[in-house]
Amino acid sequence: MSVGPVSRDAATAEFFDGAAAGTFLLRVCPAGHSSEPAVAQCTTCGATDLSWAPAAGGATLVSWSVVWSKPSGDAEPRRTVLVIAELDEGPWWWSQLVDADPDDLRVGRRLRIEFRRASDSDEAVPVFALA
Amino acid sequence: MAWPADQRPVIVGLGMTALGKVYGPTSAQFAAEAVRLAVTDAGLRLSDVDGLLTSSGLTGGVSVDLQRDLGLTDLRLLSHMQSYGSTAAAMIQVASLAVMSGTASVVACVFADSPLQPAVGAGAAYGTRRAPAGWWGLLGASGVIGANPMYALAARRHMERYGTTTEQLGHVAVAQRAWAALNPVAQQREPITLADHEASRWIAEPFRLLDCCLVSNGGIAVIVTTAERAAGLAQPQVHVRGWAQAHPGHYLRRHPDFGLVTGAATAGPAALAMAGMTLDDVDVVELYDCYTFTVLVTLEDYGFCPKGEGGPFVASGVLGPGGKLLLNTGGGQLSGYYMWGMTPLSEAVIQARGHGGDRQAAAHDVVLVSGNGGVLDHHATLVLASEAGAA
Repeated sequence: MSVGPVSRDAATAEFFDGAAAGTFLLRVCPAGHSSEPAVAQCTTCGATDLSWAPAAGGATLVSWSVVWSKPSGDAEPRRTVLVIAELDEGPWWWSQLVDADPDDLRVGRRLRIEFRRASDSDEAVPVFALA
Repeated sequence: MAWPADQRPVIVGLGMTALGKVYGPTSAQFAAEAVRLAVTDAGLRLSDVDGLLTSSGLTGGVSVDLQRDLGLTDLRLLSHMQSYGSTAAAMIQVASLAVMSGTASVVACVFADSPLQPAVGAGAAYGTRRAPAGWWGLLGASGVIGANPMYALAARRHMERYGTTTEQLGHVAVAQRAWAALNPVAQQREPITLADHEASRWIAEPFRLLDCCLVSNGGIAVIVTTAERAAGLAQPQVHVRGWAQAHPGHYLRRHPDFGLVTGAATAGPAALAMAGMTLDDVDVVELYDCYTFTVLVTLEDYGFCPKGEGGPFVASGVLGPGGKLLLNTGGGQLSGYYMWGMTPLSEAVIQARGHGGDRQAAAHDVVLVSGNGGVLDHHATLVLASEAGAA
């Protein structure tokens, strides 16, 4: 499976600008704590004056699931590997793992962030690949 | 519970509509029917109800407008509650506090849902709608859609940390189907084996089809009143002896305990402490079982086995009719019916009353009930008993 279509809204505009430039943006508070991009306040200290800062792009595998599409007719069911990954900056992110053999995964496996689009008119979606 | 004995909370009514592939009624109509059934079951009249707590599933449709639909006038308590799968147990807690304090005297708590439509598969009917914009749109575009993969990610983490296996999960499914075979209102009553579990198709690894709960239409209501008001009513009294909630609060955030420890680890002991009991006092256990894994991790967190040993524990032969642990005796959400937290609660009331028919537990003085919502994000526990506690 490839990624699906998604459009931006006011809360996600800057994040998708970063994604379009190949950068995964995190929220960072004045004390330097990194939080998941969707937060409205720092998950460590509660600060609300957050800025955007790019993640380095490295991550490790926390958990994974192989999702099977419902079989239809004679077509082989599609398999999608979904993961939770811990970014090197600390926050977790939920997305697909692309181009990987699901039988060859283990917790702690090194990953890197990549981006995929459903079409040229859709926003770039962060995914993970084996590092 | 240090409280005047005659003001303590008692469950006196249970109303269950037809459950499962029941087409036609709206969620609001199911809810109204469930309340009418519960009031009649209790030996009360609708005009006795002075408190109403409503809740609905993902498809919505139940609201405080239920007051109007039921023609209830001059209510002293009315609210819609939503903490997902923990709502049913949470409603009993609010109703209990209301009757203890005199805020209201007869409180109806109701859940109804109608996600199933003719000719639409259960998976398509449930939890796969997602607006393609913003953060939620991004999650969906990434492929993370619905509860199945989220709980699968939790279960995988438990497996990797503790060595839990899919076959161990299968023991939960097989045992609950055996209970469901004894429950006339269960949706799936055909016995299954571990091999059937193993052969069922993958949904989201490590979950196969038989690890996942049903989807059901219908409604269930429960009536709570004081011990004083309960005297002389129609049904055996079910005393609400202990309760607690736990909401860890890390949904879609970094959460070191994700899949390993849930809110049950704090809510369970707190509810038992409130009741002045320990696990040794518990005769019957009714756990929220959206997935087989939810049962396993809740058993660990409640302390039925050490953390990490839920897999060997459920595979040790303790489950199912005749087993030492009387767990999800109606088949649960996996094989009985999926009414969110009303599934374990309704079976708990049936067992505590001694009305379980072929599946009735011989000893049923104390029943432990769990509710679980979100992705192991919300937990509520009830301790129900057939006897009032000491003063």
